[in-house]
This record gives sequence, C-alpha cells and structure tokens, in this order.
Amino acid sequence: MQISTSLFYDRSLSAMTSLSAQADTINAQISSNKKVSAASDDVVAWQQLQGLAQAKADDTAYASNISLAQSLLTQSDSTLSSITTQIQQAQQLALQASNGTLTDADRATMATQLRSIGDELVSLANTKDARGQPLFGAATGDTAVSVGTDGKVSFAGTGTPAGMPIGNGQTIQATDSAQQVFGVSTTSGQSDIFAIVGKLADALQAGGDVSAAVASAITDLGSASDQIAAARGSVGARGARLDLEASRLQTAATDRETMRSGLQDTDVTTAITELQKTMTILQATQASFTKLSSLSLFDYLK
Amino acid sequence: MSDLLTIGASGVRAYQSALTTVSENITNSGSTGYTRRTTGLAEVPAAGGLTTQGVAATGNGVQVTGVSSAIDPLRNAAVRTSGSDLAKTEGGIQWLSQIESALSGNQLGDRLTAFFNSAQSVAADPTSSAARATMLESANGVAGAFAGTGQALDQISAGIDATADAATTSLDGLAAALAKVNDALGRTQQASSAAAQLTDQRDQLLESMSAITDVSVTLDAAGRAAVRLGGSNGPTLVAGSEAGAVTYVHSASGGVSFAVHRAGESATFVPQGGALAGVADGAQRVADTRNALNTIASNFVDGVNAVQAQGVDLNGALGAPMFEAGDSPTDISMVLADPAGIAAASVGGGSRDNSNLQALATVRSTGKYESGLTSLAANNAATLTQRQTVANAQGAIHDNAVAARDSSAGVNLDSEAVDLMRFQQAYSASSRVIQVARDTLQTILDIQ
Repeated sequence: MQISTSLFYDRSLSAMTSLSAQADTINAQISSNKKVSAASDDVVAWQQLQGLAQAKADDTAYASNISLAQSLLTQSDSTLSSITTQIQQAQQLALQASNGTLTDADRATMATQLRSIGDELVSLANTKDARGQPLFGAATGDTAVSVGTDGKVSFAGTGTPAGMPIGNGQTIQATDSAQQVFGVSTTSGQSDIFAIVGKLADALQAGGDVSAAVASAITDLGSASDQIAAARGSVGARGARLDLEASRLQTAATDRETMRSGLQDTDVTTAITELQKTMTILQATQASFTKLSSLSLFDYLK
Repeated sequence: MSDLLTIGASGVRAYQSALTTVSENITNSGSTGYTRRTTGLAEVPAAGGLTTQGVAATGNGVQVTGVSSAIDPLRNAAVRTSGSDLAKTEGGIQWLSQIESALSGNQLGDRLTAFFNSAQSVAADPTSSAARATMLESANGVAGAFAGTGQALDQISAGIDATADAATTSLDGLAAALAKVNDALGRTQQASSAAAQLTDQRDQLLESMSAITDVSVTLDAAGRAAVRLGGSNGPTLVAGSEAGAVTYVHSASGGVSFAVHRAGESATFVPQGGALAGVADGAQRVADTRNALNTIASNFVDGVNAVQAQGVDLNGALGAPMFEAGDSPTDISMVLADPAGIAAASVGGGSRDNSNLQALATVRSTGKYESGLTSLAANNAATLTQRQTVANAQGAIHDNAVAARDSSAGVNLDSEAVDLMRFQQAYSASSRVIQVARDTLQTILDIQ
C-alpha cells in the first residue's frame, strides 16, 4: 500500500495529538487527584459518589444536631445536680424542724430559709439553654414555670418538648419539660416540688404542732429526690445513646471516606507510570516522525 | 529523416505534458481533495500498409491520450458513509456532554441536599431565626439552581437550532456549488486536466455534504452527481445543474424535521447520518431531559408547599407557600421572604414544635428528588460513554477508509520524484533525437 505524503503527515499529527490528549487527561487526574470528575468518566462510580456525598451532607447535619443535643443534656445534668443540692438542703431543714425542742421563732427562720430554697428552685427551673429557650420548657410557653401573684408556682406550658432529629428517622428528646422534672406524686396526690417546699414553709411559719406536716414533707421530699435522680439517670442514658450515635456517624464517615477514596481518588503510582508510558510513546512517535519526514528522494536529486 | 524529427518533436511535447502533470502533483501534494493525476502516453501508430524495403514502418512517435485522475468511486463512497456515521455520533456526543455539564453545573443535587439538611437544623432549634434564615437561603439556592439548570438546557436547545440552521445553510451552499460543477462537467472535455479538477471539486463537495447529512450519490457518464438525502429513496437535492434547499423545523414538543425544496416540490426526509442526524438525536435528548427536570421541579415545589400548608409558622399562622413556579416549571421563585414564615410546627404544636419538618423529611424520601436527578444525569452519562466508544470505532473505520482512498488517490512525493526523473530523462533523450535527426540530415546536406 502506498502512503500518500499528506496522509503520512495527517496520521502522524493525529497520533501525536491523541497521545498529548491522553497525557493531559492523566496529568489532570494527578493534579486534581480525582479520576472521576464527570458522570461520563465512570457512570457507576459517579452514581455511588453522589450517594456518598448526600449521606455525608446528611450526617454532617445530624452530627451538629447531636452535638447540640449533647450540650443540652450536659446542661440539664448540671442543673439537675443543683436542684438535688437544693432538695437536700430542704430535707436537712425538714429533719431539723422535726426536732421538738425548737421554738416557733427558730421554725420561722427555717421557713424563711425554705422560701429562699423555693425561689432558687424556681430560678433553676427557668434556666435558659444554649438556644435561648427555657431548658425545662414544655412544647408551649415562653418560660418553664411561672409564679403567680399569690406566690404559687405553676407550669407555664403543656406537652413534651419536640424530639430532635439525630439520624435517618431517629429523634431524641434532648430536654425534659418542667412537668416531667418537678412533678411528684406525693402521699396526698399529684403535686410538685415547689408546692412541697412551699407547704412545709407555710407549716413552719404558722408554728404550733408541725410534726405531721414535717413528717409528710420528709416523705414527699424523699420522693422528689428520687424523682430528680431518675430524671438525671434518664439524661445520662440519652447522653450515652448520643455518644453511641456520634461514634456510629464517625465510623460511617470513615467507611464512606475509604469507599469514596477508592472510587474517586487517583492511584498516583499507576497514573504516573501510565503518564511515563504515554510520554515515552509520544517521544518515540516524535522521533520517528522527524526521521521519516526528513527522508525525501528530492534531497538526492542534484 | 523527417520522421525522426517528428518522432523527437512528439517526444518533447508529450514529456513536457507529463512533466507538467508531475509538477502539478508535487505542488498539490498538500491540497485537500486533490487526486493524483497521470498523463496517458501512447504510441502514434504508423499509417496502415506503408512499408520500407518490405519491413513494416516504425511508429510515428508518442502522443498524449489524456490526463486521468486516480479516482476510485467506491472508496470515495466508503469515506462518505463512514464520515456521515462519525459526524452523527460526534454531533450526538457534543449535545450529550453539554447536557451533562448543564445537569451538574448548577449543583442542583447538592443544593437540594443542603436545603433538606438545613431543615434538620431548624428542627433542632425551631425558634432560632439564624437556622430559619439559613434554611430560607438554602431554599433560595435550590430555586436558583432549578432555574439555572432549566436555562442551561434551553441554551443547549438554542445551540442545536443555531447548529442546524448553519448546517442547512452550508448544505444549501454546497448543493448550489455542486450544481455548478455538474454544469461545468457537462461542458468539459473528458480525460482532460480541467475535467480532473472538476471531479476533484465534485468529490470534495460530496464529502463535505456527507459530514452534514447522509447522501446517496449516483454519477452519470459525464461524472455529474445526483444527490438524494435520507437514503436512496429520499428526496433529490441536486440533479444536473439544479439544486434544492433544505429547511429545518424544531417543534415545541422537541422533535425536529427536515425538508428538501426543489423544482417547486417539497419533501421531508429523516437524516440517518451527519451533523443533522446528531442534531435530531440531541434535540430529542434535550427535550426528554427537560421534561424529566420539569417533573422533578413541579413535584418539589408541590411537595414543599404542601408541607408548608399543613403546618403553622413561628407566629402561629398557617404556613404560606414557599415556592412559586413561573412560565416554565423550573423557573422557581421564592415567595416566602420572612424566616418566621417557615411552618416548622404542626397545627397546635406550639412555637417550639418541629413535627411539620419531619413531614418535610418524609416528602424528601418519598419524592426522591435527589436520586431522580442523579439517575437523570447517570442515564445521560451512560449514553454518552456508549457513544464515545462507538465514535472511537467509527473514527478508526473512517481513518481506514481515508487511508484506503489515499493509497490510490493521494500523492506520494517519492514516486513523483521518480516520475520526474523518468520524464526528464525521456525529455532530454527526445531532444537528443531531434539533434541526431538534424546531424544526420546535415551529413547528407554536407555531401559536395
């Protein structure tokens, strides 16, 4: 077969062009460290990468919710600890009050102390959380508890706080309502810690025979203390669940990254070897082209 | 001795022609569409019956029978067919890769994911105006990405129209030029240098036409080409010295049609190859992608607005629509401007409720907007990859067809150099014959 001169040049040109294009593609893969940058590079891998990217974005949103929930639970725990301290002081005062040698004046002083404990409890109940919302708020209401003009404490809202999304279809109740924390079922029916402390203070203020009131207050304060301990236990359990969930997200992120890297990242060793091969072939093509094109019969016509 | 002079003179004339043809070949070795030419040489036969001393008379020299061109019509047809196929696939690839960029350029999928995830942040802190503002900003991003993707597809559609218009215009120009070449071929002496030049032009015009659409060519005895489009039974574009015109129509539903208008008649044809077939393919692809995107956009707007409508916003009012679609379903604009207007809570749930946002998460998983977009792009990419493989194969077939044609029709400078030497020597030798004839005659004249 006779090779026409222009065909020889065209062929050499297209061979060198395609080798340069190949080298450029490999170079781009090395510099961007990505072998899949468009869907058509590898459809199956690209589709999986899209799924991984979406899962990563989802988990990032869930992780920030989890860390918010963790901080809320930590705040709940420390606030509940302060509440326990207050209840323990109330219990000590109740035990002292049961001592028959005390005068009415002594008991009135204790009543004053108990009232300040009650005030402290109200202020703890209305603690604001990191979001600027009442930590023990119910589903509704601007505060957790409100104090009436008669000094009576009532729960401001109703319902339980909404769950926070922390995973695909999973929610966690990061805070408890004041009703759940401070509501106690006592010997005389459903009541709350504020009422128990208030009732004891009223009885000590009034003076006279306080033994019955003190006895029932000691029992009720015991129930209240148990109630707070149970609430702290629940907070701790939820914290543990969040820790598990957070570490699951971290493991999933690591697995995902391994998979993404396998699908998307350029294997630099292979790519550089491939680039070297392409460059060698390109140089050989250039050299043979130069040699062949310099061959002409016309050079020998004198 | 006079015939020796004639023979020498005929040789000088003939080899001068041959050298001219070789020089023409050498100088045109780089010209596109040039076919190698050869000078036909034949002996001038002796006049019948004349004898000299009983021996048959020698011939009367050499003559040029014509200039022939090394055209192989079958190989030319193979180059045209493979060129048409390649141009069709490459045209399709052009549009498919533009669709790929349009679908990924605005990062619509990422923005949808960001929007739904910003709703999760609002769910964690429903009264936070920062979280709500972020969600509204993400929603704005989604609206912009839908509009941007839709516009990018519309631009591709406009690009297809522009390409088709340009292609039909140049096809008309090529047809008109071919008609002129046909006309000239009918009036040119065959086996002449002028005829070879015209057939070269004819074949080059046909090759250019085949890159635009598939052409069925029939040649008559004079070398005039009759061209039909869209198969051998399609409408005639060029016959003799009369050329038609091609028109292009893009219907609203996305389909395209082509027609030939010639000699007062119009007939439609379906291009099977060339850029026009790529245009038809691309137009269909863009229309299908646009429809799929429109469906996703409408479902998204309806889904989000329905969730808004069934919840209450931060002020306790029923949720107002968040998005509104314009003339095109992807022309989405934000109608909700106040972050407090995001209906995070269910009816009666209170300001800190987030249960309506769980409904949004449900709409996300049932609506499958993100995976719908991913599979839309993946299907397009799968077709694109397959077309690229086909184009590589067709490119190799076309290269081989060109190589096969050029091996007979192309100019090789080395063989031309050999011819140049051969004819130059023959020319010098013929001149020497003239000199010998003169010297011989002089010998007789010198007798005193």
